[in-house]
Amino acid sequence: MRPLEPTTSKQRVAYGLAFFVLFVALWSWATFGGHVSKTFLANPLTMVQEGYELLAKQGFLFDIGMTIWRVIGGFVLAAVIAVPLGVLMGAYKPIEAFLEPFVSFARYLPASAFIPLLILWAGIGELQKLLVIFIGAVFQIILMVAVTVGATRRDLVEAAYTLGARDSGIIRRVLLPSAAPEIAEILRLVLGWAWTYVIVAELIGSSSGIGHMITDSQALLNTGQIIFGIIVIGLIGLSPISCSRRSTPGYSLGSLHDPASDRSGLANLPRPRRQRTDPRAGADNARCRRQ
Amino acid sequence: MLRIIAGLDRPTSGRVTLDGREVTGPGADRGMVFQSYTLFPWLTVRENIAFGLRERGVPEKKRHEIADAFIRRVGLSGFENHWPKQLSGGMQQRTAIARALANDPKILLLDEPFGALDNQTRALMQEMLLGIWERDQKTVLFVTHDIEEAIFLGSRVIVMSARPGRIKAEIAVDLPHPRSYKIKTTPEFVALKERLVEEIRTEALKVAEQA
Repeated sequence: MRPLEPTTSKQRVAYGLAFFVLFVALWSWATFGGHVSKTFLANPLTMVQEGYELLAKQGFLFDIGMTIWRVIGGFVLAAVIAVPLGVLMGAYKPIEAFLEPFVSFARYLPASAFIPLLILWAGIGELQKLLVIFIGAVFQIILMVAVTVGATRRDLVEAAYTLGARDSGIIRRVLLPSAAPEIAEILRLVLGWAWTYVIVAELIGSSSGIGHMITDSQALLNTGQIIFGIIVIGLIGLSPISCSRRSTPGYSLGSLHDPASDRSGLANLPRPRRQRTDPRAGADNARCRRQ
Repeated sequence: MLRIIAGLDRPTSGRVTLDGREVTGPGADRGMVFQSYTLFPWLTVRENIAFGLRERGVPEKKRHEIADAFIRRVGLSGFENHWPKQLSGGMQQRTAIARALANDPKILLLDEPFGALDNQTRALMQEMLLGIWERDQKTVLFVTHDIEEAIFLGSRVIVMSARPGRIKAEIAVDLPHPRSYKIKTTPEFVALKERLVEEIRTEALKVAEQA
């Protein structure tokens, strides 16, 4: 091993699988070996049995479907409102000055804190679940899209002006396509966060969904079912994430410092690194999303 | 100065007029090529060149015709559907020149467009630009630090002084057209170069003394 030396794709898969094997081995050792009480942690075999039981007899597929629909519904609602607003904020500085302080404040309000209020307002039906996701996602998307659009290369905008572009043309044909790959990345990131909100929303006042099943199982001390539910969440979350990572090697997430975004004072947002990747990588990303 | 003419910056005093009309903002009648690479990375070579045409609402078929004609003029046939990142620096600047010309501007503003290129590519690009100019006779305002480039391409060379930037000298270049690269070694060319070197050297010395 040497720093930054690449591995072959075969090795990558092998190493990745090896950790899962190690993890299950440790789990088996702890449970089958009697080192942890059955009440607190089910062994892997029981977990698989309980999972089969859930899927075959207790209609768990319906719960999974409900949870996915809530995430997608709330997320799409948030994206439809947040992306245009973020683009406007990024493009027009007065709009940014008008909205940015409030959105920055609202961003730090945890979506789960709204659950009691939302139950009061919207009952315990689907609307309440969707609103939790919506509140959790909308402010994050607005801010990150605004920063991305605001950091569009100035020389490209100037070049478009000298080619006779008007303001609407600048937004539609420079700012939007320039920010599109990163907006896709932002949506993917926030979709991951939406998954955590939906489970929290389902833990309280719900009659269906993965989170509801987990609270039910807690009452019955059925740790096998709880673990199975958590694993299902992980598996669903893994599919789009792994897909996009393959197609956009130039991107990495995290708190990478970007001096270009310091101007607006929003530099501490988790956002993709500004790096121009092949436009087709963006298309790949979109394809992943649809799967 | 180029940025003011292009309408990207406002003059602190005075005005810029083009054919008697005052310049108030950027527009398609003044094509500009920047020193940095400013092709739109999400558009192909052809789409980049057709950007201004599309902005004016020229129909797609006509756009393609015009773009392809300019692609041939700058010698990029076969690269119509390439992405900018697949092109070398010289090819990117050729596309940028074609993009500015496709708008049929009254004047072409070039801000050290070949500054980032290696010497050999730069010489070829100068010949290409000269060829285009000899055909169209379109006014070109070309900013450069390269004295040889200025004489080879220019009909008039205007020397700007160091800060504040004022017009210091204007030298007519009477070398006949069409010019070939061989002209760079003729006695007339060398004499002009000598004169310009002296003019600019005094400016450079002034800057060095101030510092």
